[in-house]
Amino acid sequence: MNETKLENALAHSFPKIRRISETIGNIIGLVVIGILFWVYHYFDWPIWVYWVLVGLVILTIIGFIWSIFEPTYLYRSWSYQFDDEYLQLSYGIFQKEWVTVPMTKIQSVTTSQGPIMKRYNVRSIKVETVGSSHAIPALEEDVALALRERLAEFAKLKEVDE
Amino acid sequence: MRFHPLTIAFRIYQLVKSNLFIAILLFVINKGSEFWLWKYGRYVFLLYVLVRFVSIITAWFVEKYEWKDRVFQIHKGIFVKQSSTIPFSKIQNVTRKTTVFHKIVGLTSLTFETAMDGVEDAIHFEVISKNNAQELIDLVQAKQDNHVQKAMESKHVSETEIEEEEEEKKQIPVTNRTVHFTPRRKDLWKASFTSLSFLAIIPITAGLLDYVEPFIKDTNQFEGMFRLLLNSSWLIGIVIAFAVIVAVTFGIARTFIRYGKYEISSDDTHIYIDRGVLNESYFVIEKKKIQGLEMEQSVLKRLFGLAEVKLISSAKPNIEDGSLNVNSLYPFLPVEKAYQLIEELLPIYQINSRLERLPRIALWLKLLRPSWLWILATAALFYFKPEFLHVTWWVWSLVLLGIIVLNRILDYIHTRYVVTDDQVQWWHGGLNSRMFITKRKNVVEMSYSQSRLQKSFNVASVTTINRSTPIHMETIQDIPLDYALGIRNWYFKRREDVEFENKK
Repeated sequence: MNETKLENALAHSFPKIRRISETIGNIIGLVVIGILFWVYHYFDWPIWVYWVLVGLVILTIIGFIWSIFEPTYLYRSWSYQFDDEYLQLSYGIFQKEWVTVPMTKIQSVTTSQGPIMKRYNVRSIKVETVGSSHAIPALEEDVALALRERLAEFAKLKEVDE
Repeated sequence: MRFHPLTIAFRIYQLVKSNLFIAILLFVINKGSEFWLWKYGRYVFLLYVLVRFVSIITAWFVEKYEWKDRVFQIHKGIFVKQSSTIPFSKIQNVTRKTTVFHKIVGLTSLTFETAMDGVEDAIHFEVISKNNAQELIDLVQAKQDNHVQKAMESKHVSETEIEEEEEEKKQIPVTNRTVHFTPRRKDLWKASFTSLSFLAIIPITAGLLDYVEPFIKDTNQFEGMFRLLLNSSWLIGIVIAFAVIVAVTFGIARTFIRYGKYEISSDDTHIYIDRGVLNESYFVIEKKKIQGLEMEQSVLKRLFGLAEVKLISSAKPNIEDGSLNVNSLYPFLPVEKAYQLIEELLPIYQINSRLERLPRIALWLKLLRPSWLWILATAALFYFKPEFLHVTWWVWSLVLLGIIVLNRILDYIHTRYVVTDDQVQWWHGGLNSRMFITKRKNVVEMSYSQSRLQKSFNVASVTTINRSTPIHMETIQDIPLDYALGIRNWYFKRREDVEFENKK
């Protein structure tokens, strides 16, 4: 669907960052499940606990495999665009979403950066509006800061009759 | 200025009312129980009631309100002092409620609902004298009328003075209001049949009889009487008929009490709703604070040709007594009347009767879409295999499937939409269908989505968000892609309708 491709893309390093953070998450998950297996043996819990845990392991492995491909698809699906009037976001692998927010309705802008993002010099931006919030997951540091300034500038404008 | 002293009594009355059930549970039903939950629960409960009691009384001494330059100042907090400032312009609507409690003491309550992001959303006068309430309403509504405001301010200088003046002052009714709707007897009869809640008593009684029967046969005490009852079918008939009559009377009485006295009126800037026989309420909303309109029809209402019209406003829907939704104009309006009413009350909204329909292909899509509800329910039915009402599980699964399919077909039939100059209007929904109408400038956010399945059918969904508490979201599904993109382009022209504040 080409009509949803907007001007700007996410930071190039986004798939890599996402893959790393998902892998870390999955490893933590597996460790927790491993501990639960040990607890299960130690306390002699009923057998259904075992099957639940096996199920969780299978789900985590499926998630693991998916997390190798997903970031690339997600990166390709993401785009955004802004001008004086609207901020537009378009994203989604299976379900395509295309959100339009008038600049005047933006109430606050937050950028954040975790340790992995810091290493790749990217930031995420969260935009809060009257009723909802939207996040752009990864932008190059200078792009993110510039966008934040722009958004903050426009967010000052208020419509009559609010 | 302090709140009315009877506020204390009112709050204590509410405290008692809301805790009565727990009190009975703790001190009557489980009176002798030594189970820890009940045993300690009693102490905790007593302590809680005592604390609430003391805080209600002290709160009255602490809580104060005042106004100055079209701004309300509310002071409260026993330990942590809290004052909030609420400009009159932020007030979205005004509700005056007179419950039975208020009737007895000859007073009323008043709520100014605001749309500010904060803890204290509304200014609530739980007990207030009628004159005082009217004065406050006039004060808030008097837009440019400085004269009134000045007069009010000078009044509030000394409290005693007001009391005296109130005695003398006659309520001056606002005369330029036009009454648009008062329910006719016929409407009320229809209304009481559409809220067919009383019919629920029939299956319940039947089920109860079914359940009680084996026990009755064993007990000797009632045997004679019940035997007689159960053996002669015409006696059962009489009993059921009697029960139905009681239920119907109850339902009708309830409807008449709730919706009997009802008046919708308006002037140039405001909409007024007066209603209620026992619990009276009065509701005012400024027209330009209305973000959109909604019209709802349940299956029964559709059969009777009725609909409910709701106003979407950014004030919090105040659902105190659960049943009366303040944002609702009237739940049982004849459809024609509803359209007419909308056009009279809010002439800026034009109701279109020529709406687009979904393409035939959308029906297949709606039917093809997997129903997670049905899958989960069937899985659960398959696993538990319940024998409800002597019917095997797969029949229930089929019944559910039938309802879902029916709902989707109806949704296809009901979905109609149109986008005109600065307004969007659409109908959707299956068994319960709704119409939604709003202005472009009131749509604060818009999104468009397309799933894989929708993509292969070349259709999409459009969602609009309006300001309300919580936000009001409306989605129309499976409209043709071109039209959906058209709606987006329409939204891009939003600027045409919007004025900006001049901020330096």
